Amino acid sequence: MRILTIALSVLFLTACGSGAKQDEKAFLNSLDSAKTEGTSIDSEVISGILQSIPSPLEISVLLKESGQKYDNALLNSPDNTSKYNNNYKKALNLGIYGTDLGYTNIYEQNRDGIRYLSSIKSMADGLNIGQFFDIETIGRLATNSRNLDSLLLITTQNFNSINAYLQNQNRSNLSVLLLAGGWVEAMQITCQVAAKDKKNIDLKNTIGEQKIILENIMLLLSFYKDVDENMASLLKDFEELKSAFDKINIVYTYKESTMEIVDGVAMIKDNSTTTIQITDEDVVLIQKITDSIRNKIIS
Amino acid sequence: MKKVLFSILFLASGLLSSDLIGQCDSENYSSACIPKLATGFNFLKSYKVDGEGGAKNKIEYSYVFTKGTQYMINLCTGGQTPDGVVVDLYDSNRNKVASSKINNQNVSAVVFPCNAVGIYYIQYTFDKSTAFCAGSALGFKR
Repeated sequence: MRILTIALSVLFLTACGSGAKQDEKAFLNSLDSAKTEGTSIDSEVISGILQSIPSPLEISVLLKESGQKYDNALLNSPDNTSKYNNNYKKALNLGIYGTDLGYTNIYEQNRDGIRYLSSIKSMADGLNIGQFFDIETIGRLATNSRNLDSLLLITTQNFNSINAYLQNQNRSNLSVLLLAGGWVEAMQITCQVAAKDKKNIDLKNTIGEQKIILENIMLLLSFYKDVDENMASLLKDFEELKSAFDKINIVYTYKESTMEIVDGVAMIKDNSTTTIQITDEDVVLIQKITDSIRNKIIS
Repeated sequence: MKKVLFSILFLASGLLSSDLIGQCDSENYSSACIPKLATGFNFLKSYKVDGEGGAKNKIEYSYVFTKGTQYMINLCTGGQTPDGVVVDLYDSNRNKVASSKINNQNVSAVVFPCNAVGIYYIQYTFDKSTAFCAGSALGFKR
C-alpha cells in the first residue's frame, strides 16, 4: 500500500508540474493586453538579434573614461512614470530608465540611482516583470560606492533575466521596445555630450558606429510592423534617423589577428581596423532626429 | 499487483529522469563564469553551451563589438575546463579573428581588444569533449 501511495504521489506531482506551468503561462499571457501575436519570424531569430545588441552601459563607461562630467540634466526625469500608462510606453521607458540607471551607476551617483531604480520598478511592475528587481538588495548596494561592481553586475543580470523571461513568454515585442528605448537614450546622451565637446573624435566615431546597431533594431521592429501600429510608427521614426546615418561610411579593413597564450589566457591582437567617415553636420542632424524620437517616447 | 506497482514506478521514474538525468547544466556553468571574468571587466552576457551530448557540434551567438573596447570571453565546465570546448570569434565576413585554441593548446579564456566595430560571431565547438557542455560569460572594459 505504501508503494502504491508513493507511486501515485510521483505521478500526481509530475502531472501537476506541467499543468501548473501551462496555467501560469496562460495567466501571464492574459495579463498582457499589448501582447503581439502573429509575427511569423522564428523566436530564435528574434532572440539572436536581441542578444547581439550591445549594452548601453558601454557608452556610459566610454563617457566617464573620456573625462566627461556627470550631468543628470541629460536624463529622463524619474518623476515622469505617471505619464506612461500603456505597455508600449512602459516598455520603451523601462529601457530609457535602464540606461539612465546605468549612467548614474557608472558615475557612482547613488542618490539619483535609487530614484531611477524606483522608476524602473514601477515600469517593470506595470509590465508584470517587477519580480526581477530586488529593490532592497540593489538599493543597499547603491548606498556604498565600494559595491559598484556588484551593483553593475546585478542590474545587468536583472535586465538579461527580463529579456530571457519575455522571450520565453512570447512577449519578445516588449524586449524589442525595452532595447530600443535603452538605445535611444544612450544615443541621446552621447549626442548631447558630443555637441558640447565638438573636438572629441571618439564621441563622434561612437555616434557613427551606432549605424550598425540602428540597422539591427530596425530589423527587429520590422518583424512587428504589420501587427503592432505603435511599433510600425516607431520604425517610421527610425527610418528618418537611418536616412541621416546613410551618409556615414564605416570602412573595414581586415588583417589577420596575432594570437598568443599568456598565463592560460588567449591574448589577441586585433590587426583589423574600421574608419568612420562622419562629418559635424551628420552629427548635428543625427542629434536633431534622435532628440525628436526621444521626446516622443518620454512625453 | 506488485508488477503493476513497479510498472507505475518505472513509468514515473522515466518521466522524471528525462527531466533530471543527462541534462547539461549550462545555465549554472554560465553563472559560475561571471565572477571568473578578470578584474576590471564588466559583465555583459552569459551564454549556454549545450552540445546535447554530441548531437550538436556548433553553438553560435552574435554581438556588436565596439572599437576601443576590450572583451573577455571565458568558459566554465563541470569537469576539467575547458573540456574540449573551443571558443572562436569571427568577424562579419566570417574571418576568424580570435580563438581559445592556439597551436593546439586550448585555454578557457580569450581577451580580444577590438579595433574594428561590427557584428562578431562567438562560436563554440567541441574538440574531444567528454560532456559537450559548458557555460560562458562575456565582459568588457575600456
